[in-house]
Amino acid sequence: MKNFRRLLLAASGLAIAALAVAPTLAQDDGLIIIEGNFGGDPATFNPILASDTASRRITGFLFPGFINANAETANFSEFDPPLASGGIVDSWTIDESGTVYTFTLREGLTWSDGDPIDSADVIYTWNALQAGVEGIVDTPLSFVIDPTGATGILDVTAPDASTVVVTFASPECTSLGNVGVLYPAPSHVLPEDLALLNDAEFNLAPTVSGGAFTFSALNPGEQVALLANDDYFDAATPGDVAPAGFIYRVVPDQTVLFEQFLAGETNVIDSPAVSRLAELRALAEAGEKQLFTFPGNAWDYFALNFADPTNPQNGLDADGNLIDQGAHPIFGDIAVRQAIALGTDVDAAIDAAVFGEGERMNSFIIPASWAYNQDLPLIEYNPDAAAALLDEAGWVDADGDGIREKDGVPLSFTLYTNEGNGRRTQTGTLIQDQLSQIGVQVNFSTIDFNTLLDIIDSQTFDSVILGWRNGWPDDPDATQLFTAQSDVVGSGSNFTSWSNAEFNELNTQAKTLAGCDTAERAQLYYQMAEIFQNELPYVPLFAINGAYAAGADIAGFGPYPSLLYWNVDSWSQATP
Amino acid sequence: MIKYTLRRLLQAIPTFLGITVFSYLLMTAAPGGPVGALTQAPNISPQQRQRIALQLGVNDPWIVQYLRWLAGDDWMRWDTDGDGKADQSIFIPVGFDANNDGDYDDATEGDLHFPPGDNKGILRGDFGRSFFYNRPVASLIGERVAATLELGLSSLLFGLVIGVPIGIIAAVRKGGWFDNVTRIIAVCFSAIPIFWLGLILILIFGSQLGLLPMGGRCPPTLTGGCPPIWGRLEYMILPTFVLATGAIAVYSRYMRASMLDVKSQDYMRTAQSKGLSGREVWFKHGARNALIPLATFLGPAITGLLSGAVITETIFSWPGLGRFAVGGVTSQDYPVVMAVVIIGAISTICGYVLSDILYAVIDPRIRFD
Repeated sequence: MKNFRRLLLAASGLAIAALAVAPTLAQDDGLIIIEGNFGGDPATFNPILASDTASRRITGFLFPGFINANAETANFSEFDPPLASGGIVDSWTIDESGTVYTFTLREGLTWSDGDPIDSADVIYTWNALQAGVEGIVDTPLSFVIDPTGATGILDVTAPDASTVVVTFASPECTSLGNVGVLYPAPSHVLPEDLALLNDAEFNLAPTVSGGAFTFSALNPGEQVALLANDDYFDAATPGDVAPAGFIYRVVPDQTVLFEQFLAGETNVIDSPAVSRLAELRALAEAGEKQLFTFPGNAWDYFALNFADPTNPQNGLDADGNLIDQGAHPIFGDIAVRQAIALGTDVDAAIDAAVFGEGERMNSFIIPASWAYNQDLPLIEYNPDAAAALLDEAGWVDADGDGIREKDGVPLSFTLYTNEGNGRRTQTGTLIQDQLSQIGVQVNFSTIDFNTLLDIIDSQTFDSVILGWRNGWPDDPDATQLFTAQSDVVGSGSNFTSWSNAEFNELNTQAKTLAGCDTAERAQLYYQMAEIFQNELPYVPLFAINGAYAAGADIAGFGPYPSLLYWNVDSWSQATP
Repeated sequence: MIKYTLRRLLQAIPTFLGITVFSYLLMTAAPGGPVGALTQAPNISPQQRQRIALQLGVNDPWIVQYLRWLAGDDWMRWDTDGDGKADQSIFIPVGFDANNDGDYDDATEGDLHFPPGDNKGILRGDFGRSFFYNRPVASLIGERVAATLELGLSSLLFGLVIGVPIGIIAAVRKGGWFDNVTRIIAVCFSAIPIFWLGLILILIFGSQLGLLPMGGRCPPTLTGGCPPIWGRLEYMILPTFVLATGAIAVYSRYMRASMLDVKSQDYMRTAQSKGLSGREVWFKHGARNALIPLATFLGPAITGLLSGAVITETIFSWPGLGRFAVGGVTSQDYPVVMAVVIIGAISTICGYVLSDILYAVIDPRIRFD
């Protein structure tokens, strides 16, 4: 018994000693930014190989981009500090065919080891992308190369150290977006033999940097630590990156992530749970935290299958001709689609599913986009009009069971969303309830995400609620989502099988407009949005508001939409 | 005993192979697949998706995929002319035949030759590469196993150190207040969901009192690395306690029952009649014999050490194998899932063999034939 008491005593002593060691973080040399992120563990720090959000976050700190984009206009731009900086391109010209872009690189840029950043570093990346197509390098960036040569980038050359010439297969306004994948990589420290790139030591311990920070350490599954790179060429104060460093902490639980931020264990949070935004707003008003919200680029949709789900087929045959895929027994009727849109109270869904932190959409174009038509009215919730539309189309409840039918076909369909997503589950439940009030039976169920992907890829579904996240800068090109060429059973993103000749024509015009003037392109997208709203392959739902928050002790925190860290080199410890 | 152990391990080989076949079949039969998770972006074309699926080999029949995982693919696809591209293959395609015309050489159609296979297969010690991390699975597991063992061992020890004495005292004071109180606590510990307990403790000791960190294994530092355990005890207290609650409940109740069984044995009466003190009778003679059945618990417990504690690791941001395994399953990262299955299978087999050995160590009367 005495031994047991001793043991207990020792255990208690150990616990008390541990409690005395309060979690601290030395901040003697300036601000240390600590971001808690539930996005997961970065897979690599090589910009050529990075595909996941966590890896992209870190490589964004370590390496420069290729082309600059203006933080304010959210459009590609020539080098124009401070809002359009961080990329190595100074300016560019386009030849008469619209397919050859000649980029002039900025002079005097160097990696952290003093080696110049030049066109050879871009060519290295291009070679890696080509090797990626052949499966030699596991890069996600090879999507810009079409092995047939029909689309995308055909070739990249470097006539001299400060010039990069990119040749595209066709003149497209999405070219600048594609060219963004040519991240300069420090070719002087990377393996010459690209077959060795996948396993290069550099991928997890980069020795050279060209961004605001240099790599310090990785604790797998837990954190990544970066140190200030005072040689960063785009620092607001030349020769000085203000924060001492950056720590990325992996925090897989949303509740814990938020509590850590409130307690000051972390001082930056990207995309806090919308359910806690009201709390954050109150803290921001009290001056205890800083908060920035904006119309986000992630959006949810309610997709309706146009084709016969019992006989899924591709949109085009081998010769490129449209295939008659048959019509969906319910959604084949445009009146049903329009009635469903009128009978769906999206505002109620925004309130219930995202606590009001969402912005309604009037088409497939997100409200944050330059192509969003503010003048195109939203589809207002009007169950009476929806019911009238269905009556007129012959969908009536003849047997009094509460469900309309026409020619013996009940107005009943399945609606799926992915299990575990509270927002979409809430939206689906509301839609089910709202449509039942106009005599439409919705068999709503949540299923495993991978199972759902299988179902939509096989095009055997009736309807789904899912979402997309657009890139930044966003281009509203609809080729992969709503054209017949991407209606491929098993692998195409146009799984609703919607195809509209006028829409396709406008999309092609907007994509290939000479000069790519944004205002002119926007007019074309406005027309596409109208067609989309009439045809309704998706009932437009909402874009979820984005949010960034920081501790009150951080000076310089001033994000733009989708750009949390654009000026991170000037963040500092606020003086009380 | 060595002969016995070797025999048991050899007998386990068919079991092990059966587990891998069954697991692979189940995994590939599950809906969805890694390609969907890897290519969820609106700018990926159907052809790119098809190419990625072929490169990963997930379109092959499951038996071919299993064979590749088991015996590698360096003999399935190879290069004969030394240009670095495969030109011969069995079971799997040489490359990407864009329009399915049986020709892999027409680049204008988008045809491609893949590189030769380089996976050696699990039989030659190659766990393969993770689809998501794009790194050898063995190194990914190596980076996480220490964290899992650390948490698992500490909670096992904590569970034993607290649970066993509680069980002994409860048996000695059967029907007393200590017995009743510990019984109620044991029931509560068994019934409380771990995720709830973890969050509540984080809110109390981390958020409200600010006494303990709310997660992680090591303090955040710009230099990285992790101090020795005694330099970061505060990070271990909550996850260890949460993970040990179930063990404390089980060990204490089991030990109590075992002690009560032992109490009626002849040698206990002999010890008492010899005039030994109560403490000596209970702890020296009673507890040691009562520990024997507990050894059967240790085998599975050791298995649990390696398979990780998924919920605890997630709540406390602990960078261990459990969380890693769940990520692998969610994204259908086949090589990761299979590696975790292998670890689970091997540790289970070894755990039970260890149980048998512990029996002999604790009770010298037990011998192996």
